[in-house]
Amino acid sequence: MNEIYQKLVKICGKKNLSNNPDLLKTYSEDCSYVSGKTPISIVWPKNSKQIEEILKLANSMGFSVISISSSSNVRYHGDTLPKKDNSVILNLSKMKNIVSIDRKNRVVMVEPGVTFAELIPKLKEKGLRLLLPLHPESDKSVLTSALKREPITIPRYHWDSSDPLLCTEVVFGTGDLFRTGTAAGPGTIKQQQKRGAAQVNPMGPTHFSPYRVIQGAQGSIGVVTWATVKLELLPTVQKVIHLQSENLQDLLDVQQILLKYRYADEIVILQNLNLACLVKIESSQIVELSNSLAKWNLIYVLSGRGKFANDKISYQENDINDLVQELKKEKLNNNSPINEKDILTALKEPTAFPWRSRLKGAYQDIFFITNFERIPEFVSIVEKMAQKNLGTYIQALNQGTSYYCEFDLFYDPGDESAIPGIKQNFMDISSKLIEAGAFFNRPYSLWAKEVFANHSEETITAFKKVKKIFDPNNILNPGVLCFDD
Amino acid sequence: MLEKDILKEFQDVVGPEFIDDGDVMTNVYAYNWCTEFVNYMEGKEPIPFSPVPKAVILPSTTEEVQKIIKLCNKYKIKFKAQSTGLGPWNQPSTDNSIILDLRRMNKIVKIDEKNLYAVVESYVSGAQLQAEAMKYGLTVHMPGAGPMASPLASHTSMAGPGFTSPQTGHSARNVLGVEWVLPDGKIMRLGSLGQKNNPDWFIGDGPGPSLRGIMRGWVGAKSGIGVFTKVGIKLFPYPTDTKFVMTGHAPLYNFEKPDYIRAYVFDCKSWKGLEKIMLRVEEEEVGFIVSHISGLAVMAIFSYSIEGLMDKMALGVLKNPLLVVMGARTKREFDYKQMVMEDILTEYDLENIIDTKYVPEKVFYAECLRANLGYHGFIATGGFQSAKGQADAAALCLRAEKTNIPLKQKYIKKEAIANDFGEGAWMTSYEGGHFFHMESPTMFNQSDLKSVKGMANYMDESNKQDLIKHLGAPFFIEGDKLHDEWGPHMMNYHNWLRKIKAAFDPNGVADSGFYITAKKECENK
Repeated sequence: MNEIYQKLVKICGKKNLSNNPDLLKTYSEDCSYVSGKTPISIVWPKNSKQIEEILKLANSMGFSVISISSSSNVRYHGDTLPKKDNSVILNLSKMKNIVSIDRKNRVVMVEPGVTFAELIPKLKEKGLRLLLPLHPESDKSVLTSALKREPITIPRYHWDSSDPLLCTEVVFGTGDLFRTGTAAGPGTIKQQQKRGAAQVNPMGPTHFSPYRVIQGAQGSIGVVTWATVKLELLPTVQKVIHLQSENLQDLLDVQQILLKYRYADEIVILQNLNLACLVKIESSQIVELSNSLAKWNLIYVLSGRGKFANDKISYQENDINDLVQELKKEKLNNNSPINEKDILTALKEPTAFPWRSRLKGAYQDIFFITNFERIPEFVSIVEKMAQKNLGTYIQALNQGTSYYCEFDLFYDPGDESAIPGIKQNFMDISSKLIEAGAFFNRPYSLWAKEVFANHSEETITAFKKVKKIFDPNNILNPGVLCFDD
Repeated sequence: MLEKDILKEFQDVVGPEFIDDGDVMTNVYAYNWCTEFVNYMEGKEPIPFSPVPKAVILPSTTEEVQKIIKLCNKYKIKFKAQSTGLGPWNQPSTDNSIILDLRRMNKIVKIDEKNLYAVVESYVSGAQLQAEAMKYGLTVHMPGAGPMASPLASHTSMAGPGFTSPQTGHSARNVLGVEWVLPDGKIMRLGSLGQKNNPDWFIGDGPGPSLRGIMRGWVGAKSGIGVFTKVGIKLFPYPTDTKFVMTGHAPLYNFEKPDYIRAYVFDCKSWKGLEKIMLRVEEEEVGFIVSHISGLAVMAIFSYSIEGLMDKMALGVLKNPLLVVMGARTKREFDYKQMVMEDILTEYDLENIIDTKYVPEKVFYAECLRANLGYHGFIATGGFQSAKGQADAAALCLRAEKTNIPLKQKYIKKEAIANDFGEGAWMTSYEGGHFFHMESPTMFNQSDLKSVKGMANYMDESNKQDLIKHLGAPFFIEGDKLHDEWGPHMMNYHNWLRKIKAAFDPNGVADSGFYITAKKECENK
């Protein structure tokens, strides 16, 4: 260990390294039920050169590297907990450079340490907005969110499941630096930009798209040192429509029409408790609001910009009304007890108070992807199995071709007697869903084994081949996904 | 020809009527459009024939494809798959190769109206799929190659720009679940399709990383990484009402123009103006076609014969033309979009020539809706091919176009390629203006040796210019020679690609003439 420490000091300097036992211990646990090993060091690199050197050192000395980007100490899902004894945490939170904001090409280039709270105001100044996950945590890394394929709330701008991630600079597990998409060249980034390029095409170079194998890999293929992220223009007028129903299918049907014809920007379906969590902070207020809402809530936002903003909203609203009438649904309740501004805040802003923790102080979330028809079936499975305090969030993805379903089990972290039951409940529900064909496309630690056991052998073999190419010595986050041998 | 025993084994897979190793059939399959100048670029004789395949085999199921590939591995014979088969990319690079003609795999497996996607086999054409999707108010992204091309080929294996890309994106980005026979004969099903319980087509990524990144990049592997037998692809809202009434005869059919469709062609007057206006139109999200085409191309898209082309010289004077076609489902939507476009025209002092100076034939609107504008490229000389193909910001594409003009003029002067004033270009936006691609369609005479050689030399020089001037990678950087040339200037990507090839095709049986070899596979040639 001492030798590793000394060599890391040479690369990054002593002040960017720690082996303080108390601090190290904090990296061995997170909010999941996974137990991690204590890392041997934490290193805060400043640039890609240092990362290259660290990964080359890891290959030669045989230690594992786990990258972390967010400045928050609160982490979830167990994916960043060391699973081997000889692990070094590569903490990228000091790589905070917003390299460029390009209004013309609607793209931003950021390093991994840049958080939602830091970036959103800077983009607003230029009339731009990020494609956000639902009310993200302020200190969450923008880049990591995109790398994890966290669902975004505007399905019509979700052109590919990989959005909003575009080009990346990455250090593969071999220690080799690479740039994906058009960022690969020819020429350096500066030379490309001089010719007008903006690193907005993620595909390639040529016959492969390595960004797709980096994304969703839980840090096991490469360490991303910057990425370009797709932006949209900030609307000047927005109108929130909030429909309530006791019948989920009614709202799914209305939503499907919005998706089919690309109406509306943000579209989310939330069960009453989750909607209340989003717009209220205090537990008592959450419960009060939740009780005043119908069980299911479809929220969509019509947006316009510039001098015809209201005309756009008006034509869309009228067209939608006509289409909804054709559905011949019972009249849906469109009287919202929630202030429009509060809903927009939840959809447009980050929060310092993680909304899923507001009700009870802690939660475990179960999430997967499915199709339109099976959503009610999965809701029914979870509702039958879950203990009380269940929240549900349904997000249409990839322009309405699939749906993210999230079930939040809220609980009091101070009630130690309840925790084992929550854990068991979490595992039982997850297993039942996997068995029923819910597609856990982001299989974190506790799910990975079961998910891959229920997946085709050919895919697993292919993943292992890819891993062998880009991280032949398995130094990057060993033990995640199906890379456990 | 195949050895008798080997032929017998292939016959056992598909039946004797679906394999032919005779001279007539194999020689016919050795021909393809544009093969002559590709041959010349590779230092071969400029003839329109590739190496003659050992046999042509027509499987009808994924399992048959699998068995064929296993036999290829057993006997170290390469395979080259083709579906609708347009262009030299369908051709074998060696005579130790068989062609898998996938034309019997021609079914639309499903159209999922609720989940907005379709699943198709290899030989379904874009037009066939669109006709079915229209019944649900939906359409499909079709590549510039046209509606007769296979969406499966475009989405999994080729390039993917299309005229409707502003609203239907790029083929590679519209892929969901995939059924893929790997070069070692294993069948891999991507994403949610790989689940043991209730597999379905709705997503092609994960669990965890996405193997779509291995399957293809900006361009596909053209059968160099296996054979794709079914693919889930996204569907999009049809831009107008779906009534499609056409009578009469080719090429000037009578078409009943939908109520809410309108075309605009205007001269943006400068390169800067073109960039600005194209970006602005896309920010407003009003057009389902937003294409910059050269003056000659404006003439061409409205022409149905060489004489008709010559009649339209007046349109050729446009210096920086932009074509915008908008469609709407309702009058409200149409009025709104027209209002926005009129505002842009006023703001930038632009004059729409459509229905003022020129009234297009109604079939033009059918071609817009059916993504069939590309065929007009053949009118002038009967043959054309595109140089370039870089894709990133609008500014890069326009710079590439501008830089290309003197080079093209040099070859026009030599009378090697047709005279489009050096300006011939097509540039489209994608995904509401988030990125762009530009290519330079170039017309030449495929039956004239001087023209073929000139075209090849022009392509070669154009590629080199893009490399030296950092103007992005063109479409046709494929095959070992070009990868070895470009790789060192692009993060040595070729080394990673070779590792992928070696890992997924250990016997080097997937013909890599338009992909990359792992080097050692050359031994099998």
